[in-house]
Amino acid sequence: MNAVVALAPRFQRAGGRDARVTTGLAVTAFAVTTGLTLSVVGGLLGFASRAELPVPEGQGDDRSVYVILAWIAVVLLVVPLMTLAGAAARLGVARRDARLATLRLLGATPREVVGLTITETAWQGLVGAVLGILLYAALLPVCALLPFQGTTFSVAELWVGWEGFAIALVGVPVLAALSGAFSLRRVSVSPLGVARRETPKKMTWLRAVVAVVGIGVFMVVSSVAGAFGAAAAAALIAALAVGFATLNAVGPWALGLVGKVQLRRATTPARLLAARRLLDDPKGAWRVVGGLGLAGFVAGALAVLPSITAIDTSQDPQGAVLMDDLVTGGMVTLVVAFLLAAVSAGIAQAASVLDRRREIALQNLAGTPVELHDSVRRRTVLVPLLFVAVGSALTALVMFFPLLGLAAVASPQGPLMLVGFLVGGCALVYAATETSRPLLRSVLADTVVRAD
Amino acid sequence: MWGTRAARQPGGMNTATPRLSARGLVKRFGSTTALAGVDVDLHNGESLAVMGPSGSGKSTLLHCLAGILPPDAGTVTLDGREVSRLSDRERSLLRRRRYGFVFQFGQLLSELPAIENVALPAMLLGTSRRDATELAGRWLASLGLAGMEGRRPGELSGGQAQRVAVARALITGPAVVFADEPTGALDQATGHDVMRILTETTKAAGASLVVVTHDSQVADWCDRRIEVRDGLVVGATAEVPR
Repeated sequence: MNAVVALAPRFQRAGGRDARVTTGLAVTAFAVTTGLTLSVVGGLLGFASRAELPVPEGQGDDRSVYVILAWIAVVLLVVPLMTLAGAAARLGVARRDARLATLRLLGATPREVVGLTITETAWQGLVGAVLGILLYAALLPVCALLPFQGTTFSVAELWVGWEGFAIALVGVPVLAALSGAFSLRRVSVSPLGVARRETPKKMTWLRAVVAVVGIGVFMVVSSVAGAFGAAAAAALIAALAVGFATLNAVGPWALGLVGKVQLRRATTPARLLAARRLLDDPKGAWRVVGGLGLAGFVAGALAVLPSITAIDTSQDPQGAVLMDDLVTGGMVTLVVAFLLAAVSAGIAQAASVLDRRREIALQNLAGTPVELHDSVRRRTVLVPLLFVAVGSALTALVMFFPLLGLAAVASPQGPLMLVGFLVGGCALVYAATETSRPLLRSVLADTVVRAD
Repeated sequence: MWGTRAARQPGGMNTATPRLSARGLVKRFGSTTALAGVDVDLHNGESLAVMGPSGSGKSTLLHCLAGILPPDAGTVTLDGREVSRLSDRERSLLRRRRYGFVFQFGQLLSELPAIENVALPAMLLGTSRRDATELAGRWLASLGLAGMEGRRPGELSGGQAQRVAVARALITGPAVVFADEPTGALDQATGHDVMRILTETTKAAGASLVVVTHDSQVADWCDRRIEVRDGLVVGATAEVPR
């Protein structure tokens, strides 16, 4: 093994409490990602296996609809899942960059530096994958309680199989390593990569153009979907994925705009700092609140459910089951999306506190009030959070308009459900970010400010 | 520029009542005694270098004098008022209102441009953003940083960043400025430049200065120096000649 890469475990131990916390957060994120992905895939496999059974006599076959809906749920959850995995790989990036830049200064080659990072993140990914499989196994009996198609799933139906575990054990470390290596570009280019923090490059308005085009594509595809016949569902799912990716591209740009407005209006130190922090790294802010944005998008899309389920199905018991299942599936998707958003936000906030620990501690020594750090920490999450949640839900309502018309707002339950979910989701994410408060207090309590 | 609160305060050195005074300071960390009964006086407008090898207790002395750490025994008085028994919150307020700080590096907030880094302490004391920014601009210009107001800390050289830190420490008109190894991350020439600016500007602002350093050439910039070893002051000079 290469001498530098062989140092990985020693670096890990030498990092002390910060390194342990960062590693713990990363492993947790990979575990949650793995566990929930396996659960979602298990659900998809469950519906697919039921679709292959012979149709009971005298019943219509709507089982392919369930498979399509399960695929839609997978598409809706895949971006939040990937966001969480990406956030995990970037955890503690400032501390790691500083350490690796030092190694570069000491003569380590870019390849050795990348190798060290890959070793570290792949190891975290592997431990996370193992714990994720255990989480999936723990969730299995809970998922099996959910009633679909008139009956609950059996554990066997939701079982992803040993090959599913093998894919997770190989795939998660590989994805973690790739993501970690990708986040290292600065250090690989220059040993002084972390010594310089410059005015961030502006994100172009092209992102907004991409967003408008993406939303337009979805609206056009969904309005003419009927003409595609059997391919309509596939086209819609693909368009949904495009819309989702679009939201991910435009989110940081929109948050940058919010930061500019905030900066212009800032009159207090907390507002000034929160605005500058948002402007400085809108992509980082999106990583914290983006999960909720995507969940808000899901909530906006699902606001149509009360109107759909209000259709009279007294003459069609199978249709009634489908409507009930639509609500159950929608709720499960939303709950998972919000949980992912909360975990992403909590982990990203904790990582941010650790990455800024020296700066925060020195400000504290100079008499900066603790309340300022708390207020800035809260503002950097809350303002983008509200903007993103509401903005994403509205985007979803607009995007689904050609497909569903005014169904989302036709009955009062739709908007009420949407508002309820957004408020609940924001509260959940806020609570998750508050878990970093004790960490901030412990950083402030440290009067001995160490070099990184 | 010097029309700040500090500039209106009386200057002068070695007046009868010291501005900052410590008596019998003791500080322990577990079984280690970092300070074993230290007496120090600092007069108005005076600069004091605290020297000593690593682990001698000089940084702990600075932390106790500055109200960062409460001493286990002994007293610290500022303008005749005992400040060593204040609560944590009161000590934070004291540091914000009466003291300025210059650290080795890293005290500037990386996301703020230089002018906002300097303006921030004034804003924390209630000055409006516009007035604080205007005042910060004048401080930066007076320290030779005109035209660099919009630069981030990462876009400044080490010497420029320390000048910004000096402006940041002085903008609120502090009674005492504490500098912990302010030239530790700089080359010798830049370090001398920073020390010249730090001592001259602090004196002109009517503030006293405590510099912790292990470098005797840095200490030469101060009016007086004390040597700390094993938690005790073992040597002191009066009026170091330049």
